[in-house]
Amino acid sequence: MMSKKVAIRRLPTGVPGLDAILGGGLPEFSFNLIVGAPGSGKTTLAHQLMFALATSERPALFFTVLGEPPLKMLRYQQQFLFFDSHKVNQSLRYFNLSDDVSAGNFDQVLARITQEVEASSPGLVFVDSFRSVMLEAQQQPQGTLGLQQFIQKLGIHLSSWQATTFLIGEYTSDDHPHPVFTVADGVLSLEQSVYRNSMVRKIQIVKMRGQATPPGMHTFRISNAGIEVFPAALVRDDPGATLSAAQSRPARPRLTMGVPVLDDMLGGGLPSGYSILVAGPSGSGKTILATAFLAEGVRLGEPGIIVAFEQTPSQSRTRTIDNMVRAGHIGLINTRSLDLSIDEIVQRLIDLIHQKKATRVVIDSLSGFELAVAPSFRDDFRESLFRMVAVLAGLGVTVLMTSELEDRYTDLRFSPYGSAFLTDAIIVERYIEIESRLKRVIAVVKVRGSAHSDELRQFEITDDGIVIGKPVRDYEGLLGGHPAQTEAPGKVA
Amino acid sequence: MAISTAGTNARREAIRAMLATRAGSADDASALAQASVDTWRQVTFQLAPVIGVGGVEVLFNRAIHQTSAVFPWLATAVEDGGGDALLSTLEARFEGQETTTVGEASATVLLNFAELLATLIGESLTDRLLGPVWAPVTPASEREIP
Repeated sequence: MMSKKVAIRRLPTGVPGLDAILGGGLPEFSFNLIVGAPGSGKTTLAHQLMFALATSERPALFFTVLGEPPLKMLRYQQQFLFFDSHKVNQSLRYFNLSDDVSAGNFDQVLARITQEVEASSPGLVFVDSFRSVMLEAQQQPQGTLGLQQFIQKLGIHLSSWQATTFLIGEYTSDDHPHPVFTVADGVLSLEQSVYRNSMVRKIQIVKMRGQATPPGMHTFRISNAGIEVFPAALVRDDPGATLSAAQSRPARPRLTMGVPVLDDMLGGGLPSGYSILVAGPSGSGKTILATAFLAEGVRLGEPGIIVAFEQTPSQSRTRTIDNMVRAGHIGLINTRSLDLSIDEIVQRLIDLIHQKKATRVVIDSLSGFELAVAPSFRDDFRESLFRMVAVLAGLGVTVLMTSELEDRYTDLRFSPYGSAFLTDAIIVERYIEIESRLKRVIAVVKVRGSAHSDELRQFEITDDGIVIGKPVRDYEGLLGGHPAQTEAPGKVA
Repeated sequence: MAISTAGTNARREAIRAMLATRAGSADDASALAQASVDTWRQVTFQLAPVIGVGGVEVLFNRAIHQTSAVFPWLATAVEDGGGDALLSTLEARFEGQETTTVGEASATVLLNFAELLATLIGESLTDRLLGPVWAPVTPASEREIP
């Protein structure tokens, strides 16, 4: 049966991550607002869209109203890799209206825009930018088109052309949404916020008619390649379903951890696709365990990725990991920047997982991770972690996360984030005191859907890595920090 | 000020050739002056949509100022306003000058203008925007000048 509904084509924007948060691209012939404070990246976004979308069949017209002087705009925009000067005056044309605007006659400005559009039938129209026009409107002669009407009329005009159109402007307060917001099919709002010592850019699709857009703010970054959006939406890919599917799948293959005995303790290795938390105090050997996990993967031809956040990587990790990274066996994301969003890390991680076809991922450590994300994201850290784990589970990779655990003997915790419930398996490392010596013990706390050892075993860190010894018998109260020798072996319940 | 000598020389040659073609003769001072003014109209026609009439004038004045270091009689042109006023002043300044001087001064103002633009928006974009002005050497009669 033929559908009589209009089919809306969606244009791929060419801005990494943007199509995902637009709900699949930009609807053709839509009228969009790009709003945000000065410096939020509006003009850059508009240019990136224009250079990606403009072709000889779909030419673009870029009207500069006031705002940035065009000479400066061209000077700075061409620093971006997407700026292709060969397209100028070929598939895209600039048109400066500042002379008409400074004359203060908006009827004329509108007429000029209309005239140009009708003359060249562009597929894309950009008008940059309308807040500056608003300021200009103060000395408006009576009886002529006022600014409000001008914007409104322009909006209606922009909607009626068979073109995908953009009005770029400043929009600083929520108090007085301009009437043009009603006319617009799409509203892309950009903002930059400075919190403490970090600067974070966010984009929100306030409105996009005709298609479902993932809600919320998404972070983005501007580099010399232009804008890259890190959609929080990808992370929200129905984690509930993903997790339950993961749980219900029986008898998944198990991964070996690269530490003898540990596989037995886990009930035969770690089920693939699981996430595991290795928690322990400083120096207890979490990173060494993580390194062994990756090295074992490399040995078996299972590529891995390590996301490292430590400011001063420990010597042993650096050596082993470095060798594997240099040999191309594992991927490394090492970041010391302090203004990341979790979504950005996740995006980079996903890209690298696909690139390396990785099946093992190590995040070392959650404490470093929390430090690396911008302060404004820390409040949502747990929620974001949850989404990240869900996304990684959806990709089918096995994730090992380390977590610094303050050695407390009054209560038993596995992570400071309450993230223990997030993971499918938990290994805990602790220090205990036996005969005036500091000994390390390791235990498997949980392996979802699997039998596992309940033993507390001593282990040592040697040049060859972790060597797990015998179960600690003859003592009780170890975890409470007050071990007491039970009377005689064999008497223990 | 020149970015690359080779590029500058090529541009200077292109400008000279264009002026001569437009004037129809390199020996006629008034024809050269007219060709120069016509070229400026076309430069404005090409650039004003992109950088605004104001943007063109600012650069034009700056180019004349730079050129007046070599041709001091050009200096007064700047003071006499912008737009068409500037062009007619320029034309008036050309009157009474030697033919070679008119050709040289015209070419130098255009060259300085192009170099100035290139330092701001880059060689590649400058060539893209101004290339049509002097690249295709067609006689003045066939050109579309608004």
